Amino acid sequence: MMDRRDFIKLTGLSLALVLTEGGFKIIKAVQEETINPVLWANITKDNHLVLLINKSEMGQGVWTGLAMLVADELDFPWERVRVRSAPAGPQYIDRKLGMQLTGGSTSVRNMYDFLRQLGATMREMLINYASEEWKVPREKLKAQGGYVFGNGKKASYGELWEGAVKLPIPHKVKLKDPSEFIYIGKNIPRIDAREKVDGSAIFGIDVRLKDVVYAVVERPPAFGCKLKGFDPSRAKQVEGVIDVFAISTGVAVCGKDFYSAQKGRESLKVEWTESPIKDFNDQELARYYLNALNRAGAVARHDGNPEDVISKAKVKVESVYLLPYLYHATMEPMSCVADVRKDKCVVYAPIQSQTWALKTVSRITGLDEKDIEIHTTYLGGGFGRKANVEFVREAVEISKKLGRPVKLIYTREDDVKSGWYRPMNATKFVGALDEKGRVIAIHHKIAVPAVFEWAGMPSQIDRAAVEGIENMPYSVPNLHVEFVKIDLPIPVWFWRSVGSSHNAFTLETFIDRLAKAGGRDPVELRLELLSKNPRARRVVEVCAEKSGWGRGSYRGRAMGLAYHFSFGSHVAQCAEVSLDKKTGKIRVHKVVCVIDLGPTVVHPDLVVSQMESAIVMGLSASLKERVSFSKGGPQSLNFDTYPLLTMEETPEVEVHIVKGQGPMGGVGEPGLPPIAPAVANALLWGYGIEVNQLPMTPDYIKTLI
Amino acid sequence: MTEIYINGKLYKVSLPEDTPLLWVIREHIGLTGTKFGCGKGICGACTVLLEEEPIRSCITPLKAVKGKRITTIEGIPANHPVKRAWVELNVPQCGYCQPGQIVEAYALLKKNPRASREEIVRTMSSHLCRCGTYPRILRAILRAQSMMGVKT
Ligand code: FES
Ligand code: FES
Repeated sequence: MMDRRDFIKLTGLSLALVLTEGGFKIIKAVQEETINPVLWANITKDNHLVLLINKSEMGQGVWTGLAMLVADELDFPWERVRVRSAPAGPQYIDRKLGMQLTGGSTSVRNMYDFLRQLGATMREMLINYASEEWKVPREKLKAQGGYVFGNGKKASYGELWEGAVKLPIPHKVKLKDPSEFIYIGKNIPRIDAREKVDGSAIFGIDVRLKDVVYAVVERPPAFGCKLKGFDPSRAKQVEGVIDVFAISTGVAVCGKDFYSAQKGRESLKVEWTESPIKDFNDQELARYYLNALNRAGAVARHDGNPEDVISKAKVKVESVYLLPYLYHATMEPMSCVADVRKDKCVVYAPIQSQTWALKTVSRITGLDEKDIEIHTTYLGGGFGRKANVEFVREAVEISKKLGRPVKLIYTREDDVKSGWYRPMNATKFVGALDEKGRVIAIHHKIAVPAVFEWAGMPSQIDRAAVEGIENMPYSVPNLHVEFVKIDLPIPVWFWRSVGSSHNAFTLETFIDRLAKAGGRDPVELRLELLSKNPRARRVVEVCAEKSGWGRGSYRGRAMGLAYHFSFGSHVAQCAEVSLDKKTGKIRVHKVVCVIDLGPTVVHPDLVVSQMESAIVMGLSASLKERVSFSKGGPQSLNFDTYPLLTMEETPEVEVHIVKGQGPMGGVGEPGLPPIAPAVANALLWGYGIEVNQLPMTPDYIKTLI
Repeated sequence: MTEIYINGKLYKVSLPEDTPLLWVIREHIGLTGTKFGCGKGICGACTVLLEEEPIRSCITPLKAVKGKRITTIEGIPANHPVKRAWVELNVPQCGYCQPGQIVEAYALLKKNPRASREEIVRTMSSHLCRCGTYPRILRAILRAQSMMGVKT
């Protein structure tokens, strides 16, 4: 949350920087001696509200959700609202995250109060100014639909704005009562839909600068390799190739267009040092991770006496899981335009983390952050991947060396080879039941790389490694959670829902195995374990009810349910599944999804689309995806070997929103974790199959039948 | 010099004839609505029309379209039912795959306005969307059919 002083500065200064309607270019807020201006909003003369939003639009609909907050309090016509992305700078930091970053499903939660206050303050300023100008008492004036009127006078906000910003900023503004909302809670049109339908939306890869040089980077075939040497002579002879040189991650080939650069690269000879993991293929990785479970790790949680209880229990269940590296597969591969000059640098990039980009560019160029302009374009998918700014660094390195503006484009293969995967992991669960089938102990251990450490935030217990397990909402009297850190030179990163993307799978399938061993219904067992958590119980109950749980075999299909709490939201999903035992092929027919993200739902349809999105992505991962390795490098380099779910394979998705009490939860990620275990649980109950590995490809499933 | 017609306009480009059409359109003509996704004809992000046929421009060399008519996302009228339905149903998420999806859907309905649900699903399954907008794409095409007054 910004404090009052910052808030005043920001509105007071917006006049100095008039943003016009239309055009992609953003005018950067200028630094001044006495004040540190922050530009968030402006109303143009022709009555358009132009907002600079500090969150990256990567499909989640955040520009729509955030703009609604301002427009609602301001009482401004939606079709006249325009959003531009805020440049990178300390002014635009999300105070709750401590940086300018879009991640962790936090955007609406973190910006909600601030942006409503922004809108309300602007409205108040307009009324104050009209009152003074027209000599009409404030109480007689109304600001509505983009106009101030009263006492026979009427003017648009745009006509008044220039005068309004010259008056003192009101200190106390009243926010609307929810009953007065005109947009919040309603399904208004996405603000980015039209541009994304007519082809004019500008993504990172679409930015066109004059005299730009196109660059591709040849990368090592395996992780941990260093550049040994290269012969650029043949590449340089290729028509259109401008230069070939080494950068920190490989060899850059620059050309007059993408195709020449690519052709140059094909004629390039590069030698790499041996990979320290050159013997790692899929089998070796599996062995390595499973072995790591024999090592002692760091204890994240220890309640009661799980070892003892388990050793004495009559009914014990044990499972060992192995989950793969996953690739983000943003449909737009990494791409960045950089123009490094002696005293200045301009970057256009599809990034989630402006603060990290700014620091990186400053480090590479030696320039002061104030001399660096970073503009965020639309992101053709993010899912966490584009919070990693190595690709920005590469573009900046290349432009610096070349002394010209550069557009770096990753091919799909480059994108996979660059790494930054969702970590692979091995997990062992042991659980114990009493004679009534109640869960009395759970012992958990996971071997997994430390994502936060790779992101420069090391800690003894990596937050991602045990998230969703260490803080599970289930009441288990004897509980042990342990983390064994895997250190391999395979870069890992945040992948939509992060640790929950794997931990929900292991925990939620294990709960069903416990239920089965104890002769219990898995929904009933969950409700028992959730007795202290009414919000969690409710989503499970509603999901069971809406999906027809317990009403016998549904249309002859198997059903599985899973629940997970992540990013502040509770989500339960029930999947209707059938299996062709001959081919091993799984078909997911329908998914019923219930989410509780708290009492305020800014845009219900955006919540629905995020649930659809997360279910499709989670299903894609669990049925089809795995980065396969050979000789220490990835083998699944494009969509032929790293296939994604298609429309044919997509189930019908039904979403229900329930409004529980408590703080607002996130939306972008929490819909993903439950889908994989829901499907696996259906296989357990319907076909007696225990899925211990992902993806559930026909080949793997056949081995279980 | 190679001549091509894009969205009804004649362009003359002097480029190696094996240059993929995708990059000609994006970098030389300057129409960036057509996207690069895989470069191998798998994802569909680069789909354009060659005459009436949807093709993958990333694997189509310039020489194959000499003197031919190409339609890109920018060439489909804004008020076409497909585009209108897309906006109405808030289909795009990140939006990156959408031009390809829209061009494919447009071609499908042009060829076969009465395409059944199964045909639509089969055709559209050649396009990848990482944001998982499939349910909405399907609804939007059905909606476009009803806007066009088609009874299926
Ligand atoms: S880029 Fe052409 S099909 Fe993927
Ligand atoms: S909308 Fe993002 S890939 Fe389809």
